[in-house]
Amino acid sequence: MTDARASLLSRVRRRLTGGAGPWLPKLPDGRAVARWVVPVDELARVDAMPLRDLGHGYDAYGMSRGGLAFGLALSHVLYHHWFRVSSHGIGHLPTTGPVVVVANHSGTLPLDGLMICADILRRSPVPRVPRAVVDYFVGRMPVVNTVFTRAGAIGGSRANFHDLLDHGEVIVVFPEGTAGIGKGWDKRYELQRWTHGHAELALRHGATIVPLAVIGAEEQLPQLGRLAWLHAFGAPFLPIPASPLPLPVHLHLWYGPPIRVAERWSPDDAHDPEVVAQVAAQSRAAVHQLIHQGLRARTGVFA
Amino acid sequence: MSGVLISGATTPLGAALAADLRAHDDGPVLCVGVEADELAADVLPAGVDYQRVDLTRPRHVRSLLFGPVRRLGVSAVVHLAAHRDARREGGRVHRLHVDATRLMLRLADDLPSVRTFVHRSSVLVYKNRTDQADVFREDAPLELSPRAPQWVRDRVEADVTACAHMGTGRVRVAVLRCAELLAPDVGSQLWDYLSGRVCLRPAGFDPMIEVLSVADAVAALRAAVTHGAGGVFNIGGADVLPLSSAIRLSGRDALPVPGPLLGPLYRLRAAVSDRSFRYDVNRHLLHFNGVLDGRRAAEVLGYRPTHPVTWPAPGA
Repeated sequence: MTDARASLLSRVRRRLTGGAGPWLPKLPDGRAVARWVVPVDELARVDAMPLRDLGHGYDAYGMSRGGLAFGLALSHVLYHHWFRVSSHGIGHLPTTGPVVVVANHSGTLPLDGLMICADILRRSPVPRVPRAVVDYFVGRMPVVNTVFTRAGAIGGSRANFHDLLDHGEVIVVFPEGTAGIGKGWDKRYELQRWTHGHAELALRHGATIVPLAVIGAEEQLPQLGRLAWLHAFGAPFLPIPASPLPLPVHLHLWYGPPIRVAERWSPDDAHDPEVVAQVAAQSRAAVHQLIHQGLRARTGVFA
Repeated sequence: MSGVLISGATTPLGAALAADLRAHDDGPVLCVGVEADELAADVLPAGVDYQRVDLTRPRHVRSLLFGPVRRLGVSAVVHLAAHRDARREGGRVHRLHVDATRLMLRLADDLPSVRTFVHRSSVLVYKNRTDQADVFREDAPLELSPRAPQWVRDRVEADVTACAHMGTGRVRVAVLRCAELLAPDVGSQLWDYLSGRVCLRPAGFDPMIEVLSVADAVAALRAAVTHGAGGVFNIGGADVLPLSSAIRLSGRDALPVPGPLLGPLYRLRAAVSDRSFRYDVNRHLLHFNGVLDGRRAAEVLGYRPTHPVTWPAPGA
């Protein structure tokens, strides 16, 4: 290649790339974004959170402090201003050891999960990272999957559960799954099919189960119907919400007393289906009770 | 240890392993490759024996094992041989990847001096989907889809062939499922990917990848040879990072492209250049996390990655 041609190509490239940088503008760092919106004390918690950094600032699942900070920034308006989340009893969350937070699921869009994570990130007695378990199809969604994993979310495979509980992390699960988030208006605050996987894993790892009721999410985005034949990214259905935006309901999170599985059962009991069912029933009953407690305590959907 | 046979020894990995074994004076080192003696002499360290052998020919393999291997009393076979160009497919490539592995395992059993067979496998053998683990343990599901490219299917079949030999033969078999090795001329798809001026990646996806340096790969192979333990071991690298970071650290430009366009674009690139990167081989690793759980290798072999890649990787 002649010098003149090389020089021309180099100039074109510089023009296209704006220097030595990438072809597309570099996305802003999560922390830089967070500094604009997140209060200093909340941001300081991110630095205190445990992160199994494998050398480049990320853990094996892709979580980073920048991603956590970005998650705080993303949830800031929703948490503080839109849903005005009220947190009750977060002191029940253990400060150490493996924890499985189990909650009711509702609201057409998984904003309840986002708000639970935002709450634990901001208010847990000791800074801990909530690892929200997301459905498989989320991993196939461009951008969403990256934002979620950077902020600590994980795919719902059993091996992921095992690994994180082995390392004493906090996992947030919805035993109802999509049956909970996709249920109709007439079934609001009724717990749907309650899977047992969380109980088995809690038994195996001696994890503490913390029941949690989300009050308000049922009314955030009522569903008109669903397109059961449309499986975008592998989702089981596409919901048709009654409102283009989530309604600004007042969201309440009620944490219940922890169920200390390890005090009563041994890891070997995870192989006993009766014990697993018993633990699952206990967590379900605790969430059910918290739902009724929360509903009794609230003064209005938007108040 | 009385001696080691290294197949695929003329690659940078094979040569580095040979040099390491010589440096530790672990008995005679018999290197095997397809290159002519003069070419092999340029890359191999002094003091090793070299045999030019076409492993796709069963007669050559028999002659190797019942000739020099028996004569030298080799106690460990390190099988690294694999085709370096992912674009090549067909019966000959299959014979090298699978049939040669099977034959070498079978014949090694008939040689009383051989006690250990180390097979180098790859992270590509794992089924990488959103419903699978992000961190692969050794018991994770394998990629058994018939739609997988031959490059992947061959690796899975060779891996399973080696695993099937565990406990059924006399020789202890160690299968090392290595993270992507970042080095030239070892068939590294990541090396080829990062060698391009612009790295096209799926828009909206930035998975975690694990990169293995040659020094760590040598350490793992050496640990497997000296320890002599059988079983499957994940061999992770010291660099676990997002794909975008690997591209940036390599000094390359990342260009996010919608996923469906990547296949045709990389096929076009392979057709008009000497690059062998194949999107269909790496599609899942470019979308979803593919990190190895190396705890078993640490516990049994005492292997822990300690040599990060020097970014930017030379030549990348």
